Amino acid sequence: MVNRRDFLKGIAGGAGAAVAGFALGSSTDLMKEVEGRTFENLKSMVEAPPSEAYLLVDREKCAGCRSCMLACSLVHEGKENLSLSRIQVIENPLAGFPDDLVQEQCRQCQYPECVAACPTGALSVDEVNGNVRLVDEEKCIGCQRCIEACDQINNPARAAWNHEDEYSLKCDLCIDTPHWEENGGPDGKQACVEICPVNAIKTTDQIPVQIGQKGYKVNLRSSKWKELGFPVE
Amino acid sequence: MNGYMGKILRLDLTNKQKKTISTSDYEEFLGGHGIGSAIFFDAVKDKTISPFNPKNVITLMTSPLSGTLAPSAGGRTEVQGLGPQPYPTEWFTRSNFGGRFSAMLKYAGYDGIVIEGKADKPTWINIVNEDVVFEDADGLWGMDTYSTQEEIWKEVSGNPSNSPEDREWYQKDRGRDDGRTTQKPAVVAIGPSGEKKSRIGALIHEAGNAAGQGGFGGVFGSKNLKAISVLGTNSIEVADPNALMKAREWIHENYEYDEEDPECEHPLDYGSFPGFSFITDAPGSGMGFWPKVEPARPQGCLSCPKNCRMRTESGYGSESICVEVVMYGGQSPKERYKSANLAQRHGINVYPISTTGHKYLYDLYKQGFLGENGEVETDLPFEKYGEMEFIRALLNKISSREGIGDDLSEGVVRAAEKWGRLEQDLSSGLLQRPNWGYPQHYDPRIEVNWPYGSILGSRDINEHGFNWDIHWIPQVSTMLGLDPVFDAEEVVDNVSNAVVPFEGNKSMFDFGEDNIYSKDMVKTIAWQRYYSRSWKQSVQYCDWFFPNFHNPSNSPTNQGFTPEAEPKFFNAVTGRNISFKDGMNIGKRIWNLDRSIWALQGRHRDMEKFADYVYEVPKKAPYFVSSKQNGEWKWENGKGRTLDRDKFESWKDRYYEFEGWNTETGRPTRGNLEELDLGYVADELEEKDKI
Ligand code: SF4
Ligand code: SF4
Ligand code: SF4
Ligand code: SF4
Repeated sequence: MVNRRDFLKGIAGGAGAAVAGFALGSSTDLMKEVEGRTFENLKSMVEAPPSEAYLLVDREKCAGCRSCMLACSLVHEGKENLSLSRIQVIENPLAGFPDDLVQEQCRQCQYPECVAACPTGALSVDEVNGNVRLVDEEKCIGCQRCIEACDQINNPARAAWNHEDEYSLKCDLCIDTPHWEENGGPDGKQACVEICPVNAIKTTDQIPVQIGQKGYKVNLRSSKWKELGFPVE
Repeated sequence: MNGYMGKILRLDLTNKQKKTISTSDYEEFLGGHGIGSAIFFDAVKDKTISPFNPKNVITLMTSPLSGTLAPSAGGRTEVQGLGPQPYPTEWFTRSNFGGRFSAMLKYAGYDGIVIEGKADKPTWINIVNEDVVFEDADGLWGMDTYSTQEEIWKEVSGNPSNSPEDREWYQKDRGRDDGRTTQKPAVVAIGPSGEKKSRIGALIHEAGNAAGQGGFGGVFGSKNLKAISVLGTNSIEVADPNALMKAREWIHENYEYDEEDPECEHPLDYGSFPGFSFITDAPGSGMGFWPKVEPARPQGCLSCPKNCRMRTESGYGSESICVEVVMYGGQSPKERYKSANLAQRHGINVYPISTTGHKYLYDLYKQGFLGENGEVETDLPFEKYGEMEFIRALLNKISSREGIGDDLSEGVVRAAEKWGRLEQDLSSGLLQRPNWGYPQHYDPRIEVNWPYGSILGSRDINEHGFNWDIHWIPQVSTMLGLDPVFDAEEVVDNVSNAVVPFEGNKSMFDFGEDNIYSKDMVKTIAWQRYYSRSWKQSVQYCDWFFPNFHNPSNSPTNQGFTPEAEPKFFNAVTGRNISFKDGMNIGKRIWNLDRSIWALQGRHRDMEKFADYVYEVPKKAPYFVSSKQNGEWKWENGKGRTLDRDKFESWKDRYYEFEGWNTETGRPTRGNLEELDLGYVADELEEKDKI
């Protein structure tokens, strides 16, 4: 039997990320330098084989419960700590909707600065596991160059520091989850996606527009959401 | 042990001293309320002191599940101490607030904070991991609760906003070894009302998380304590991470409202009457009855699968739920939301100023008792009653203690007493305060588990477990002009299936006029007291999500997740192996400990009586509950009912007997306390001649 939630999870459908080359954004996106990167940045970088899946989030749907962060920390580290989550949800409870909240996930960049910056090859493109950009904890020397590199293009950096076990953390789409019996990766389950109570995180196998935010911050709201009285446009 | 951080912070404001207590000394009491009561019992030698005495001890306690993925238990904080709100005796009492304060406190390394003494000048407490600093709050004194939090965010993390530049990993300088965070510190603060020692001063965290009932805002004020801020980056150890994750998936798959394909939906246009979501548990349901007037998101406490609140475009009404957003009629829904924010900013407990507060004042104005030329003079703009101008003026006066505000800051009941109105108004029901001066919540003549639990305790219980099912299901449907969406029998079955150790006893949920004084109703109350003290207030599953009896998302049986879920998450996190019933027994122990503290404060069965109107004035509006009539389960309309004084007194006999308490005094006995391994408590009762 097909589990309905599993089915809905991969909203884009299709087998593997067949799209090669890079997905350009609109001209307004090109102007955005604060998050993501500009066309100028991209030209100078080397392309890696694209990840076979990406996390998409809907910041107007998210309820700020941080269950995704707790699930991420739990399945990877076996402990609960918001500082050890590979997805960050940041709130200003006193601000007005929708500027009160952001979900910041790793973009599995087509041109991963984190991979380029890593001096040991600990952070690499895992060709066995759907080209996900991930950290081999054994090889990580803790120089934090990946974090600094990601920090240049993302606020906050999507690569994080595990200060307790001293290695860098980044989203591996749940390939390596020693504390969870499920299999992750592009074809498996992701802890954050499984747990989100309002389905404000999903995966896609289509390469999101790399420039700016739009490719990754999407609308995951359906007509049912509207019936609850919330905006869907 | 897993789930606990191992130490509790003990802060003495008088001597600016910091100590820690080992949590393991108190783990037998689970967490939250249990640990709070046990520490209070040990720390306060004379329990008859005033709540404003510097020797009063206030505890803010987490649970072993705080900061974890356990559903709805991740962010709640239990607050206890002697409270200035209960009338006539200032009982040892409790409150609780949601959000994420308890989680941050755990990440900082502590299972709780115990506060004693009184600072010599305005102070706030700044906790970042192991660093605990008493900071000068001169600059914050007088600020509202929102501005206070913003100032502290800036001070601690430099992250006051959410602009892209402010989205950073903070604590960078210490981050390599101590960890970084993108999160703002979690702050709990009082407003001007608390500073002025109001008995209805609240503790406020973020936009709408409030510990209102009890008056702990006023106690913070009396201690010169403006706020506590916590930021932490430590990990909470979890005994069985896979079990915790699987358990949460189990809730997600079977019991959560599925926003993409709901099993039970609102039968009419949702925007017109969101109250139906009390039954469906849809996101945003806590905004109560109001149509959504502006764009918003649902918003939840840390780790909540329900996300009952909202955050709105204007910010008005953000995170406020239920009575907070229906506190004041206002001219438009937006004004209702606005009034909620005003109260949160002043740090005023909304319940005592809602209908049984401002409406009572308005009634006295109409009688000519209050007003420019009234017996009690006030320039409150009563001609603007219903408009923003009135509520703004009322809140300002309470907060500043200006004019009539000085009386009202003591709470409406104490004000009425001062004005010589209390007895007559409690008897006519003009002032609907059935127990300990707290506002009427659910009807004390009909849905009796609510008032019985309240009068045996120290406050309005505010525990909805049974209430969603045995009252709201028929009530909401009737308000909508529909037939109840679920049969009384199906609902009562689901409730009674779950009430271990009394499972299967359906008569416990017969709220018919005869059965409300029965032995079965003794068990209903006992079950709720034990459940609340353990799973709800110590383990701190949220009242709006637990217990779960009738769950329309789990068709076809609609059976909820109680009693399976409670120990499942607790055991996964702590590595203990306790059963639901074990938890109930610990709840009974905590309930008896509280009962002993009240005995030490002078509690006697003669005090456990409701306001006269409950016995004398019949219920006027339709009010539905489950009952069995001629062998059939029905939704009964209790309109016209009063409570019978004598029958209630004999019900008390039955309840005291069931607990093993002295039926003359209503106090615990040595035998019953020793059975609960509370011999040391019996010793103190004996020493003080209260047993
Ligand atoms: S860690 Fe940063 S640079 Fe690396 S793939 Fe993720 S978003 Fe891109
Ligand atoms: S996909 Fe897995 S690793 Fe990535 S953020 Fe979600 S839970 Fe964390
Ligand atoms: S679990 Fe979902 S709703 Fe909760 S914070 Fe994460 S993305 Fe938002
Ligand atoms: S149900 Fe509401 S109040 Fe309770 S934990 Fe969830 S969001 Fe918070």
